[in-house]
Amino acid sequence: MGERPDVWQGTLALMVLKTLEAMGPLHGYGIARRIELTSGNQLLINYGTLYPALLKLEQEGYIASEWGLSDNKRKAKYYRLTRAGRKQLEREARQWEQATAIVARFLAPEER
Amino acid sequence: MRKLRAWFRRLAAMRNKRQSEHDLSVELESHLEMHIEDNLRAGMTPDEARRQALIKLGGVEQVKESYRERRSVPVLETLVQDLRYALRMLRRNPGFTSVAVLSLALGIGANALVFSVINALLLRPLPVENPDQLVFLENKSFNSQSFPNYRDLRDRNKTFSGMVGYRLAPMELESANGATRIWGLLATGNYFDVLGVHPAIGRFFHQADDLHPRESPYAVLSYNSWRGRFGGDPAIVGKTVRINRLPYTVLGVAPPDFHGTELWYWPEVWVPMMMEPQIENYSGTGWLDNRSTWDTWVLGRLKPGVSRAEALANLNTIAAELAREHPDNNEGLQFKLAKPGLAGDYFGGPAKAFTLGVLGLAALVLLAACANLASLLTARAADRQREIAIRLSIGAKRGRVVRQVLTETLVLSLAGGAAGYGLAFLLSEALTRWRAPMDFPVQFNVNPDWRVFLFALAVSIAAAALFGSAPAWRASRTDVNAVLKGGAASWGRSRLAFRDVLVVVQVALCFVLVAACLLSLRGLQQTLKMRLGFEPRDVSVVAFDLGLAGYSDEKGRLFQQRALEAVQQLPGVRVAAYSNSVPLSIDQSSTSVVAADKPAPRPSDSMSAHYYQVSPGYFETLGTRLLAGRDFTWHDDADSPRVAIVNVAFARQVLHCENAVGKRFRSGLSGPLADVIGMVEDGKYESLTESQTPALFWPILQSYNSTTTLEVRSSLAAAEMVGLMRQAVRRLDPELPLYETGSLDQMLGFAFFPTRAAAIALSAFGVLAIMLAVTGIHGLVSYAVARRVREIGIRVAVGARPAQVLRLVLGRVMTLIAIGSVIGLALALAAGQVLASVVYGASARDALTLAVVVATVALLGLLSSWGPTRRALRIDPVLALRYE
Repeated sequence: MGERPDVWQGTLALMVLKTLEAMGPLHGYGIARRIELTSGNQLLINYGTLYPALLKLEQEGYIASEWGLSDNKRKAKYYRLTRAGRKQLEREARQWEQATAIVARFLAPEER
Repeated sequence: MRKLRAWFRRLAAMRNKRQSEHDLSVELESHLEMHIEDNLRAGMTPDEARRQALIKLGGVEQVKESYRERRSVPVLETLVQDLRYALRMLRRNPGFTSVAVLSLALGIGANALVFSVINALLLRPLPVENPDQLVFLENKSFNSQSFPNYRDLRDRNKTFSGMVGYRLAPMELESANGATRIWGLLATGNYFDVLGVHPAIGRFFHQADDLHPRESPYAVLSYNSWRGRFGGDPAIVGKTVRINRLPYTVLGVAPPDFHGTELWYWPEVWVPMMMEPQIENYSGTGWLDNRSTWDTWVLGRLKPGVSRAEALANLNTIAAELAREHPDNNEGLQFKLAKPGLAGDYFGGPAKAFTLGVLGLAALVLLAACANLASLLTARAADRQREIAIRLSIGAKRGRVVRQVLTETLVLSLAGGAAGYGLAFLLSEALTRWRAPMDFPVQFNVNPDWRVFLFALAVSIAAAALFGSAPAWRASRTDVNAVLKGGAASWGRSRLAFRDVLVVVQVALCFVLVAACLLSLRGLQQTLKMRLGFEPRDVSVVAFDLGLAGYSDEKGRLFQQRALEAVQQLPGVRVAAYSNSVPLSIDQSSTSVVAADKPAPRPSDSMSAHYYQVSPGYFETLGTRLLAGRDFTWHDDADSPRVAIVNVAFARQVLHCENAVGKRFRSGLSGPLADVIGMVEDGKYESLTESQTPALFWPILQSYNSTTTLEVRSSLAAAEMVGLMRQAVRRLDPELPLYETGSLDQMLGFAFFPTRAAAIALSAFGVLAIMLAVTGIHGLVSYAVARRVREIGIRVAVGARPAQVLRLVLGRVMTLIAIGSVIGLALALAAGQVLASVVYGASARDALTLAVVVATVALLGLLSSWGPTRRALRIDPVLALRYE
């Protein structure tokens, strides 16, 4: 299992942050399912890639983790967004919007 | 910023690995369970649910692996792992580890010690301001200048910001413990200012304090002298001390690490140069204004931005002027610049040659140690082939395996290096504390500093690279299939294995080092047996300096004669005499002489000759043979014609004849003529290594010298005789300090010292080399036998006789030793030159010694193989065939 290209890693991180913002604290499995759902099952990601991504976000301080009990009383690790994570999310979302706007203009020049 | 935080977390995470692994397992397990539940709810069977969950996750181990890579810093983790593994491996084989670390410690330690000496002598800068601006002035013939020349140089030069002159001077110092002779320095007033040294307490003298002769009775004490002789008296500044029975005021104390500008001479006191007439007390020579005595050592500080070439050009311009103005003395004057600290090239040249030679030998010892280790490690690597093959087969990268092997060798090497550095540290401390066996303040500070540490580190790493590369390379080339299938490879018959090369290298190095050791010992033996020109055995001496003690010439002459008479009365005395000095002692003087048949001699016509002022009976006392003519008598005094006795070299080189009796010569270009009345045998006067030099002897009654050595040839033991002599002199003057008392043999320790030191150093290396070679060959043969136990067992079972087994085991080893010896022999012959520079008298063409070396190496080879060979002979075929 090699490293995914940085773009993919970057978008995965963004999706995780957004998910946590929308859903509140969630465990790894939940995040994975939610991402799959939101993308309309287009992104058939390998759930396994999520965990290293979660680790990286935690090391950078954008999310924090703690142990808790899941719905069916199982021990699970829950992740939540930190304040820094919230700010990072806003920043990245903005960057994405700008990027897509510019690219869109290039791809549809006839639209005046 | 975030990246940095992430890195820190990763580094920190290296610690609680187990907890983290556990957490991850739990997390993944709960993930799977949740997914399986969802799958079950979606309608899958339990098996299908589980399978799908696992596929979707992507394989638990893979997830864990990519998690681990991100969790910490993998490179560091593997390094720590390798280190732990290496330490474990080394601990498991204590025998191997201790031998390896010991060999390395000896090899690296020897190099570090020699480098420490080189550092002290050649690399470390003097503890003064801007030491790289200082240069030492030499000229073509001497390493010192005349004082008037110094003054002219100082005043006329344009390239130096300051120039100092100084002179070694023995003095009689009175302290609370009585009067003793100490060694000090006469220095021009600007000495401390030009050097940029600051006093520990009090002040120094300056140029303004040093203007007129006899008018500056000041003294500056060295730190050691202040503490030792004056008890660290805090009120020393301003106190009066008596030097040569005259009062001097102590101005201050030098800082603790300043010992003058000569590395080998640590003066106890500095006195302004203008006090020279009182300090040296030679009657009326006007040394300060004498252009024909060349005893002032000159040091200059270059002006900032001036190069040595410019300064030299400027100095030689002045030299040409001086030659024009004073052609008698300065004809052909030309200057050279040298690094300060070792009396210019006088010590500097030989010191460099000697220490570099010794460093070369130390490097050879280290090479031998490395060869030793390389072969041991390669043998071990062969044993571990199986382990490495397994590791490679389950997925370890080759690079990782190589890295692990290299880590092991690095750990070994650094351990050896640390032990070696510690050893060198202890030895260099001892060396610094050691005082030479003579009454002269020779001391060296060879304590290691950061340069030596870095050197030791660099050498350790280089050694690791050297002996570690072979096993590492081997490990990387392991053919997994071959190893796992058929067991370890055996020692092939025709392939030239790397280990064989190593044995040859080791034997060659051992040969060279043992040869160096034995040849130098032989050289020392020759040196000790050589004709000195006198018989030091059974001669006892006592020396004193009447000039320093304030005696006038008249009183001094009387005292000398009375002392001689007193000593002649002592029991057991056969003959006695006195002179200004004895050959091979520290105090040697020379003068220029010219044959009388030259009417208008020029400086280039004159030759240099050693001179001594001796009483009648001197030659008989010292055991110098009189070959022609007669000895001095008590009638050869100030009222009789001027006479002299010369040696054979003088007769041949100055007078150009075989029998000098009846010839005449002049001392100095315009001195009075002297008649030669006797001729004695040649001898050694200044050093053991000099070629035949002319020497002449004046009768002391015609040529008084206040420095006196009383010599006595007696049948009593030296210790007893010396005691009696001291008593006798004491009775005549109880306050006269006596020095250099002892048997003449002891006094000669000074002359023999360099050769003895060299021989000791070389013997040490020789012993080291032997130890290394023995362990190396022994290890190798043991290994060879162990490998071929099966083969030997089969051969014996099939009917091989002991002789044949012997040939099998030893045959190859002996061939290798033979090859190594041949190479070693060639190297030793080639290195004969290097050896001669290290030890006088050693020559590589000494056939007898070389034969001994060959025999020694062969014997060593046999001895080291004896143990394992015996084991080979005793192999029980039944057991052997069951082996492995």
